[in-house]
Amino acid sequence: MATTTTEQKTGRITQVIGSTFDAEFAEENLPEIYNALIVDQDIKGTSFKVTGEVQQHLGGGRVRCVALGSTDGLIRGAEVIDTGSPVSVPVGKGTLGRVFNVLGDAIDGRGPVEHEDRWPIHRHPPKLENLSSKTELFETGIKVVDLLTPFVRGGKAGLFGGAGLGKTVILTELIARIASAHGGFSVFSGVGERTREGNDLWLEMQETKIGQTDRSVIEQTCMVFGQMNEPPGARLRVALAALTMAEWFRDTTGTDTLLFVDNIFRFSQAGSEVSALLGRMPSAVGYQPTLGTELGELQERITSTDSGAITSVQAVYVPADDPTDPAPATAFSHLDAFIYLERRIAEKGIYPAIDPLASSSRILDPQYVGDKHYAVARRVQQTLQRYRELQDIIAILGVDELSEEDKMVVHRARRIERFLSQPFLVAEVFTGKAGKITPIAETIRSFEEICDGKWDHLPEAAFMYVGVIEEAEEQAKQMEANA
Amino acid sequence: MAKARAIIKRLKAVKNIRKITRTMELIATGRFKRAMDRATEAAEYTRKINEIVADLSQANLTLSHPLLQAHDQEHKSVLLVVTSNRGLCGGYNAGVLRRAQQRIREVAETDQSLSLEVAGKRGIKYLTFTGQDIAHKYTHFEDKPAFDEVDELASRYIADYVAGHIDRLDVAYMRFESSSRQEPALETLLPIGQLADKGSGDEAEAAGSVDYEFLPSAGEILEEIVPAAFKARLFKCFLDAAVSEQIFRMVAMKGATENADEMIGSLSQQYNRARQAQITGELAEIIGGVAALE
Repeated sequence: MATTTTEQKTGRITQVIGSTFDAEFAEENLPEIYNALIVDQDIKGTSFKVTGEVQQHLGGGRVRCVALGSTDGLIRGAEVIDTGSPVSVPVGKGTLGRVFNVLGDAIDGRGPVEHEDRWPIHRHPPKLENLSSKTELFETGIKVVDLLTPFVRGGKAGLFGGAGLGKTVILTELIARIASAHGGFSVFSGVGERTREGNDLWLEMQETKIGQTDRSVIEQTCMVFGQMNEPPGARLRVALAALTMAEWFRDTTGTDTLLFVDNIFRFSQAGSEVSALLGRMPSAVGYQPTLGTELGELQERITSTDSGAITSVQAVYVPADDPTDPAPATAFSHLDAFIYLERRIAEKGIYPAIDPLASSSRILDPQYVGDKHYAVARRVQQTLQRYRELQDIIAILGVDELSEEDKMVVHRARRIERFLSQPFLVAEVFTGKAGKITPIAETIRSFEEICDGKWDHLPEAAFMYVGVIEEAEEQAKQMEANA
Repeated sequence: MAKARAIIKRLKAVKNIRKITRTMELIATGRFKRAMDRATEAAEYTRKINEIVADLSQANLTLSHPLLQAHDQEHKSVLLVVTSNRGLCGGYNAGVLRRAQQRIREVAETDQSLSLEVAGKRGIKYLTFTGQDIAHKYTHFEDKPAFDEVDELASRYIADYVAGHIDRLDVAYMRFESSSRQEPALETLLPIGQLADKGSGDEAEAAGSVDYEFLPSAGEILEEIVPAAFKARLFKCFLDAAVSEQIFRMVAMKGATENADEMIGSLSQQYNRARQAQITGELAEIIGGVAALE
C-alpha cells in the first residue's frame, strides 16, 4: 500500500472468525475506526497479504476488523500493520479505461495506474448548501422509462426486480444508450454479481464507440469490481471505492458523471453477512441493525453539487419478489426514479418487464415534464389500472360479461401493455431485432394516439417490440402479408 | 402480514362471486326446463302452420296475400334484435349482436333506411354505445314471453307492411336447435313468402300430393292463416331466445363457478404459503436474536 506512516504501529492477530478478525495493539497505538490494517508476511512458507478495515473497538487495545480479502490461512499471532488511514483508491483521469478491485489495485493486467491522487473511500457527503437544486429530465430513449419513470439528470434511479427479470440487461442497455451518447465520464461498479458479466461488459465497452467519434466507451469509463467470489468485506466496500472515483470526477473536473451500480442489494447482503460475525444482533428478516445507516452513508454521497453532477443508475435485487423486504425497501427511499420489474410481465414475454403501475418517478409531475407528458402518462396508468382490476372478473366470468366501456379499456390496455415492450440495443443478438431509440416526444404522441383509440384496429401482436406507433402499423401489414 | 391480508380480501371476494354464480346456475336450470317445454310446444304449432301455408300457396297459385308478396323495391327495412335483459349469460348477447351488426353493415352499404328495434336491456345498452339510433326499445320480454305481447308487435308489423311503410322485417335472435346447440340467427319474417318456401320446402313436397278441399274458400283461409303464421313465427323467435338465454346462462355460470373454485384453490394455497413463510420468518428472527445474545 502506498500510504505509510513514519513510525509503523503494529499489532497481533488474536482471533479469526470467518471473514472478520480481531487484532491487539498497544493502548496508545489503537487504530481509528475505518483504518486499514495490513497483514503482509510469509506464513508457513507462502507470502500472505490481506487488508482489513477496523469496525469496532473492543476495549483493551483490541479492535475487530472486516477483511477485504480472503482470510484463508490467516493465523493468530500474525503481525498487523496499521496504515493510519482508511483504504484509499487512486483517482484521476489515469483511472479511465482501467479495471480495479476494492483496494484500488488494477486487475486488468495493464500495469500500474498513473493516478493524480489517492482518496480514502470513506468520505463525508457534500454539505447541504452545496447541493444542486436543478431538476431536469434525462432522456433514455426507452419508451416505458421516459413516459412513466423519467430519469432525473444528476439524480438516482433504481432498477428493482427479482431473480432473472433482466435488471442487468436493462442496466447494460442504459450504459449502451447513455454512456455512448454521453460526453462525460462513467464509473461502473460491480457489486457481488457474476464475474462473467463484468468481463462481458468490459469487452463490450472496448468495442462500443462514443457517438460518432473513434474513441471507445472504455476510454471514458473506469470499472470497479467486487464480485460474488470475493469475501463479504470486499463486496461491502467496493461500491464506496467506485463512488470515490466518481466523486473525484464530479468535484475536480466538474463534468456530469455517470455511476452505475450492479447490484446495491449485494452491498446490504454483504453487510448482513459480516454483521453477525461482528457481534451485532440481527434485526428484521435477519438483516443487520445498521442497514439504514450503512445504505444512507453510501447513498447520500451519490448526489449532485454546484460543481458537478453524478447521475446514478442502480440495480436492486428483490429477494423472493417481495418488495417489502427491508433491503430493497430501504434502498427505495433514496431514489428519484423507481423502476420495478414484475415477474408476471416477464412471463408474458414482454421485455423490459417494467411494471407500469408500481414504478414511479419524482419528476413525473406537470411542473417538470409538462402537462401533456403528465396527462398521457396518467391516462396510460389509469387504463392499465382498470384492466388489472377487471382481471379477476375476466378470469371468473369471461370477457363477455364486461360493459362496453370496460371492454374498450381491456382492448386498449392489452395493446398498451404490449407497446411498452421495446427491442434493446444489447439484446440485438438474441432477438434479431435492431434496438430502437425512441425520442420522448414520439413516445408521448404514440401513447396518446393509442389511448385515443386511433390504433384499435391493429392486432395485439403488432404492438410487440416496436419503436414508434407507425412501426406497429408496419408490423401489422407484414403479419398480414405473411399470414 | 400485509401480503396475507390482501390475499384474504381477494379470497373473500372470489367466494362471494362463486356464491352468486352457483345460485344463478341453479336458477337458470329451473327456468330452462320450463322455457324449453314452451318452446318445443310452440315449435310443433309453428311447423304445422308453415306446412299449411306452403300447401296453400302451392295448391292455389292464383291467390295471394299482401304479406306473401315482396315489395318491388326495399326502401325501408326493420331489424328486430332480441337480446336479454340480464347479463351473466356468457356469449349470448355478444353472439346475437354480432349477427345484428352484420345486417346493420349490410344495409348501410345500400341506400336503404333501417329502423332498429331492440328487445332486452343488454342489446339496447350495446347499440346505444356504438351510436345507433334505436326506434323502439322493449324491456318487458322476460324469460316467459306472453303471446299477447308478441301479438301486439306482430299486428303493428303487419299493418305497416300492408300499408307499405316497411318493406322487410328481419329478426336477429338466438335460435334454439337442441339443448346442446344454439346459434345466432338472422331470419327474414316479412315478406313471409321467402319463409314459407325455405322453411318447409321438403315438407311441402311431401304434402303437395294431398288434395285439400277449401271451405268456404282458399282465399278466406289464406286471409286468416297467413297473419297467424307470421305471428307464430315471431312468437317462436322470442321463445327460442328465452330458452337459449337460460341455456347460455347455465353453461356460463357453470364455467364461472368452476373458474372461481380454481381461483379459490390457488388463492388459499398462496395464503397458506404466505402465512407459513411469515411464521417461519418470525421464528428464525427470534431464534437468531436469542443466538446473538448468547
